[in-house]
Amino acid sequence: MRISDFIEQSFSNLWKKKLRTVLTIFGVMIGIGALVSMFSFGQGIQDNITNTFNELQLFNYVSVYPRSENNQKIPHSEDPNVPEQSGPYSQILDDDFIRYVTEIEGVESAFPEVRFPAMIRFNEEERFSLVQVLPADICQSGLMKLRAGRAYKPADSNALIISDMLLRRMKIKEPQTAIGQQIEISTLTVDLSLSNIPNIVTFLRGKGLPFSRESYQFTIVGVTEKMGFAGPMPVRSDVFIMPAESENMKKLSLTSIWDLFQSSQQQAKGYSMVNIKLSSTKYVEPIKEKMEDRGFRTFALVDHLEEIKTGFILMNMFLFAIGMIAITVAALGIINTMVMSILERYKEIGIMKAVGASDGDVKKIFLFESGAIGFLGGVLGLILGWLVSMLINQIVNYFMSRQGVPYIDYFSFRWWLVIGAIIFSILISLAAGIYPTMRAARVDPVVALRHD
Amino acid sequence: MISDPFVKTENLTRIYSSGTIKVTAIKDVTLSLNQGQFFGITGASGSGKSTLMNLLAGLDRPTSGSIKVEGKLISELDKDELALYRRHQVGMIFQSFNLVSSYTALENVAFPLLFAGVAKKERIKQAELMLEKVGLYSRKDHRPAELSGGEQQRTAIARALINHPKILLADEPTGNLDSKTSRQIVQTLSDLNKKQDLTVIMISHEESLLDEFANDIIHLQDGEVIQEERVR
Repeated sequence: MRISDFIEQSFSNLWKKKLRTVLTIFGVMIGIGALVSMFSFGQGIQDNITNTFNELQLFNYVSVYPRSENNQKIPHSEDPNVPEQSGPYSQILDDDFIRYVTEIEGVESAFPEVRFPAMIRFNEEERFSLVQVLPADICQSGLMKLRAGRAYKPADSNALIISDMLLRRMKIKEPQTAIGQQIEISTLTVDLSLSNIPNIVTFLRGKGLPFSRESYQFTIVGVTEKMGFAGPMPVRSDVFIMPAESENMKKLSLTSIWDLFQSSQQQAKGYSMVNIKLSSTKYVEPIKEKMEDRGFRTFALVDHLEEIKTGFILMNMFLFAIGMIAITVAALGIINTMVMSILERYKEIGIMKAVGASDGDVKKIFLFESGAIGFLGGVLGLILGWLVSMLINQIVNYFMSRQGVPYIDYFSFRWWLVIGAIIFSILISLAAGIYPTMRAARVDPVVALRHD
Repeated sequence: MISDPFVKTENLTRIYSSGTIKVTAIKDVTLSLNQGQFFGITGASGSGKSTLMNLLAGLDRPTSGSIKVEGKLISELDKDELALYRRHQVGMIFQSFNLVSSYTALENVAFPLLFAGVAKKERIKQAELMLEKVGLYSRKDHRPAELSGGEQQRTAIARALINHPKILLADEPTGNLDSKTSRQIVQTLSDLNKKQDLTVIMISHEESLLDEFANDIIHLQDGEVIQEERVR
């Protein structure tokens, strides 16, 4: 038999039992549709995260923070393990440290990681956000991509940069209109110092923490693209101010709750973390070594790339497992359809053999039918998966846009997913067709020809 | 020099087993047929006629004994070789016609060509020609249910002849037909036998038909040949 005849026969035989064929194909379609949606969702999330990481160059960062007191390694200049130090030695993450680090080869910039929670009030809307303290030179270095306005300068007074996303949440769709506008930042403070004993007593009596709210006025000078610059930490910041402004604000630090119990003198010992932006990932290891030799601890996202990839693989496997449930049900449907078809066409199989069909011909005829179900189910499943993904994407984006989140493709359809889904569907269908096919090939023509 | 017979069976035996029960369908059947013979097989129900026919058609294998067709040992062929034998050397017609109910007359006639790897256009052309020969061209697009018994059997004959076989095996071809149509069908087989030198082996209950058309007739009883007669 010719391949073209097998294909024609399979479609023509399936068409003779339209309802059953359509229902079986429908089962495969749902299975493949679910699998495709799951995979494209996994891929979409992976793409979004990877693109954001790449866009913000998060792999080019090394974060430096002090060791805890009891295991702090204080190197001596006589220590042969410590490389010769060119810059001023410092165990504290202060501005001197930042200046020293900036001069090291491969370092583009360095800035302290300072963020604090605050309520942002603008355009008669109030939203909770993280305020990031970012020096003016870092802001102007091009790390931050602006949609409107400009980066702040040291000479600016009470200047602030806000993300486009937060503006949208505050019902501002044109970022340009926010430039030059006044915006209010309210911080939460708690004073547990000895000078505040009466309030502490109130707290101990169960009347709540002695929180108070402080408000500060700023002028918007710039609006960032999307969620804006966030530094190496996978935490989004929507508002940026200069260190000089931050120092004058009473606030709770997000980086350490122990700040609450530290005196201002203790806090003056330095920043809790400094971010170092490198011109290339090749400088990550040398910088880490250098910083660790100086007694600091380091964190680089690039070191966790494999873990991130493993995480994506695990997520995809989980989504695949869910999709496979639907595929398994569809495969059972194919087995059922094919077994039914063989029982109904029992006599026809006998006739086939009587007129010269070999067992192989009979097998192929039924395998092509299974494959045709898989092919049609695969193509339709792909279309269904795409349509469902589009619909979910539109619905989610509609609701997210009301929260000020820019449009994101939560699903990603790659060429390998399109081709892979159809091939997978055919393979699953062929596998499901193996048992019925073997059964068809084993039909005894003598018995089948007598069958009514 | 005496040439080998066209079809020769020697001590052909077929025993069916079902658990511990064994049924001997045919026993030690030895036959010789020459090419172009019209050979009749008769006997009561359960005498082993159809079993003998299935063995000659290569649909079944003997428990013991041998079948030779044109000197080739059919009883020793493997499954694929038997399929080729059925495809190219044997045509079969049956009492219940055995047409595929969902196919048209044309599709049924063209069906064997599908397995012979003939292209679709050629299949249709040959099937139309064959239907024309049996006088059914005008009925080519009808399904078996829309044809009379005689028309269905003529369609089956056309299908049996489409691969130009050397032997036509007819298992009670008139069993479901009235006497007039029965005679017409056997007449068609006789014409083919005479004009195309086609070897015809026909099973029938109707001894009068065999007496009229067959050269040789064997009588089977309980799986054994009890009588051989040369009619003409």
